[in-house]
Amino acid sequence: MKHMDEILASIHQIPPFPQVAIKAMDIISNTQYVVSDLVEVIRLDQSITANILKLCNSAYFGLPRKVSSLKEAVVYLGTIQLRQVLLASGAKDIYDRPDKGYSYFIGELWQHAIACALMSQVLARHLRLSLDENSIFTAALLHDVGKVVLSTYVSQEFAEIETMVKKEHLSFHDAERRVLGFDHAEIGGRLAELWKFPDSIVAAIRFHHEPEKSPKTFRLLSELIALSDGLVLMVGYGTSADGLSYHIPHLLVDKLKLKKNDIEVLMIKFQEEMDKAQEMIDVKDVL
Amino acid sequence: MAKITIGIADMKASADSADILTTYCLGSCIGLSLYDPVAKVGGILHYMLPSDSINPLKGESKPFMFGSTGIPRLFKTCYQLGAEKKRLIIKVAGAGQVMNESGMFNIGKRNYAFLRKILWKNNVMIDAESIGGSNNRTMYLRLSDGQVMVKVSREEMVVL
Repeated sequence: MKHMDEILASIHQIPPFPQVAIKAMDIISNTQYVVSDLVEVIRLDQSITANILKLCNSAYFGLPRKVSSLKEAVVYLGTIQLRQVLLASGAKDIYDRPDKGYSYFIGELWQHAIACALMSQVLARHLRLSLDENSIFTAALLHDVGKVVLSTYVSQEFAEIETMVKKEHLSFHDAERRVLGFDHAEIGGRLAELWKFPDSIVAAIRFHHEPEKSPKTFRLLSELIALSDGLVLMVGYGTSADGLSYHIPHLLVDKLKLKKNDIEVLMIKFQEEMDKAQEMIDVKDVL
Repeated sequence: MAKITIGIADMKASADSADILTTYCLGSCIGLSLYDPVAKVGGILHYMLPSDSINPLKGESKPFMFGSTGIPRLFKTCYQLGAEKKRLIIKVAGAGQVMNESGMFNIGKRNYAFLRKILWKNNVMIDAESIGGSNNRTMYLRLSDGQVMVKVSREEMVVL
């Protein structure tokens, strides 16, 4: 059994969150930014440039016409959308690493991450949660990064975890804890910390399976990500490693006194968004 | 051979015996497969929710999202392609359940109950099924011979 420290040491072998995406997000956080500065930075990363063009031509962003240059994309997309595209592009690189362990199929974690991001946006809007849209998108998109680490560095134990899920009818993260002593949420939180994401994001990732333990200031975000994660997994946008072996944390459902019908209405809205985002899921590295 | 993929809240049918229909990501959703071995016509519906009574407008614009609007359309489409009701072989996959005890999240169960009811009312029997449990599934229908294969979570593919 590998220890947490050993795994944490291997975290440093996981590529950092793409620096270009981080720099570009930094630039747009200044409301007075100059478009050409931004274009110069993004252009340094060909894969992100290509992803941005593909992403922003997807129906999800609903631009009035097809965009063919990076400059046009930057001009047409609003700041919030631009941030989402940059983040999505960076996250995709992490989730779809070709040298990842055998435990996930290429595209599977990415599809789940996008589904969770869209579900949490739908929930936040529909339930009028007072949360910042950027934080929601970021936390939802990155909540499972810990799985990338685990599937790469503890592939042997991973098989054991899967067997335990099946035989003992445990949830996936409970089995992770039994076998490893910690779970992917904990690792993911550490990774987000390392990448210097804000505390709210770190907490939402760290506590997405046990939002009740999240520090109070960040609890609503953690609860939202936890519920979104569970709902998309239930629909089928999960990963084959986990199946539906999962207890959906329902704090938010209880707090807002949601009914079965509310859940169905939310699922309809979510699927509409997923239909619009198909191109985002299919984004391939064109270079 | 054409590989035809049916997305979530989607339906496709074909009369080309070289086709293989596939639907992924069956969690709490239902994958319903019809096949007429004489006409070699078949189709798959992948619906998310039992009834469009919750949003009838959506039922019109996105009929395959619901069992109530999707199931009749799947049958009609297969009939139009030459299938006959008495020859149809019906197979079902999906209706997975998360581990919560509360009924709040038992959409899989409700999806399946709805299917049973509508089929029973129309005198149609299910020939084979792979349903329930904390599983997600992929379903394949081969039109050359009507073989339906199901992959349950990470296990080997099985013939249904």
